Amino acid sequence: MNDDSPLTDLARTQRLLVCVGSGGVGKTTTAASVALWAALRGRRVLVLTIDPARRLANSLGLNEIGNMEVRIPLERLLGDADGPAFEPVAGGELWAMMLDPKSTLDDVIGKVSKDEATRDAIFANRIYRSIAGSFSGSQEYMATERLYDVYGSGRYDMIVLDTPPVKNALDFLEAPGRLARFLDRQVMKWFLTPYEEEPAFGKRLMLGTSAVVYRLLGHIFGREFLKELSIFFTLFRDLYDGMRERHEAVSRIFGDSRTTFVVVSAPNEPSVDVASFFLQELKGRTLRVGAIVVNQLHRARLVNPDVDALLGRKARELEPLLAPLVLARLGAAHRRLRDLAALERQWITRLAAYAPSVPMIEVDRQPGEVHDLAGLLSLHRWLFPG
Amino acid sequence: MPPAAADAPADSSVLFRSRVLFLTGKGGTGKTTLGAAIGRLAAAQGRRTLVCELDAQRSSLTAIFGKAPVYQPSQVAPGLSICNIEWMPALDDWLADIVGAGRIVRMIMKNRMISIFLEATPGARDLMLLHRVVKLSQQFDLVIVDMPASGNAVGMLSVVGTSRRLFDTGPIRRCAEEIDGMFARPDTNLVLVALPEEMVVNETLETRARVHAEIPALRQPLVLLNRATPATLSAGERSLLDQLGAQELGVDARELVEAGRWEERLETATAEALSRLRAIAAVVVLPVLARGEGAARVVGQLTAALARQSHAKVDLVGEASG
Repeated sequence: MNDDSPLTDLARTQRLLVCVGSGGVGKTTTAASVALWAALRGRRVLVLTIDPARRLANSLGLNEIGNMEVRIPLERLLGDADGPAFEPVAGGELWAMMLDPKSTLDDVIGKVSKDEATRDAIFANRIYRSIAGSFSGSQEYMATERLYDVYGSGRYDMIVLDTPPVKNALDFLEAPGRLARFLDRQVMKWFLTPYEEEPAFGKRLMLGTSAVVYRLLGHIFGREFLKELSIFFTLFRDLYDGMRERHEAVSRIFGDSRTTFVVVSAPNEPSVDVASFFLQELKGRTLRVGAIVVNQLHRARLVNPDVDALLGRKARELEPLLAPLVLARLGAAHRRLRDLAALERQWITRLAAYAPSVPMIEVDRQPGEVHDLAGLLSLHRWLFPG
Repeated sequence: MPPAAADAPADSSVLFRSRVLFLTGKGGTGKTTLGAAIGRLAAAQGRRTLVCELDAQRSSLTAIFGKAPVYQPSQVAPGLSICNIEWMPALDDWLADIVGAGRIVRMIMKNRMISIFLEATPGARDLMLLHRVVKLSQQFDLVIVDMPASGNAVGMLSVVGTSRRLFDTGPIRRCAEEIDGMFARPDTNLVLVALPEEMVVNETLETRARVHAEIPALRQPLVLLNRATPATLSAGERSLLDQLGAQELGVDARELVEAGRWEERLETATAEALSRLRAIAAVVVLPVLARGEGAARVVGQLTAALARQSHAKVDLVGEASG
């Protein structure tokens, strides 16, 4: 089995594959293609994705967002001339779920609130309303929430998580922690005290630094705002434990021995930059990276090809007048392609140097956008060679 | 209602008569490189120019200018400075602004609760960063702000409106009003950097719609279409290419024809991107450049391309070869 792609083993054995990388590098396509491969080999697989290209989403039957799990009928593919050249293993299922990219903090709160009254009180709070609209990371938070749900459901042998495109950090890993930090107990306690109504706690003695700091906060934010914030924190107090628990559970899933990260990149500076950052971060967290997939590769094999010798006669036969122009264009286009391919090779070499022990898989740029099951299947010759 | 000026279409000249330019775009579109190129061009025109990043954890400007930006602007070329507006010193400056510098500010800064609180308070961080841009725009002729990728950038810019709704009075309210005032100035402009790729164009259109809805004070953005392949193939040439593609060919001949078809697809993608983008904004087209010769060199080439686009009369000989 030594000739097998590193993905072969992963797709056969893992419970969770997490595809990370910058936007526009073919993360969704890679995730869906790997999931399809495993499904055709008898596993029940779910692709969890955010905001895929519309045509790919449509062809997968993901016409509606709303966090629904949708089964993708593989029969369509099997009847197709472009279908797999082998009999799929029985029992395999391909499912997809598209996370609502507009999912908001409301969903999170709805999940962790202990009762409807608390939830509604939070929803009505002016401060909450202003956060809910702009809270960054709620999309990432929802991704981990959904993962937690489906992972625990036992319905799937494997989940392939296509992460949202984030640039500077493993935001989707951080999001739950950040939300929890926002509700940091200490901060809450400190701000709750002055307005605590229960006499048992008494009022904080407003002396020294605290008094100055508090007066200044009142000055900066206004007393009204502080009062409202205190109510907000009171409402959130009970939510904190629930959120931390889920955060820890998701962290455990990411660190599980049957979870593997796949870093996806394109051979250009910004994506390699992001990919190398991911490699470094994942290493720092001792999370396992099983493969690096480099998509959208251009290739040019010929060096200074003799255009006229190769195509001159044919071109002149077809269009004698246009032939010289087109032949010149072909030569120029090939030089440009060759330069690009050489440049991409430099970026690939650089990326490989960041993680010499991680196997790398190269996928050529497809002539058109990959937008259906046949397209996903056609990627297998690169992703799973041999 | 946005002021009437907001409806006036932007053109490439906004790059050179603005005081503040906010640059954003989908990740990987080259906005940092373009921001640096605009900065060099403006500086070459004799304008005191600042290129700044907002609380960047890893500065992209370092590779371009060979010097890491810090909080205080530092000069990297005649008339050109760079900086990274970090959140803590920006907060420090703002607090000094409203309560006066000195002992009290230092005491506040030492209090962990305050910084956690402010960091957790919706939008406070973004407000402080943008407020620093207001201050810097009073010290420079042009401030080019390298924003985060488009989704986050809109969230950041719209914080101003959110804060105005949340704070009826007080220093934060005033801070938000000052920033809004900057947005509304006719010489403040938003620049969206796009690529001739379907997904990037989609995101550019979405960003434009969100900006229009959430930050009405900002004028219609200018779009820079980066790495474009302008159409040069005639219909006859395309047809010959197709006919060649349909022939029985050897491996080598096939590779040549495929190279031609690859370029043809790039031309088509550029034309499609242009027609979609022009429906919503003025577009400046920047051609594909020879890449991989170092960030500073790419900026030099882009600067020259921009100068041609804007018909700016500047001596770029020294610049482009730097």
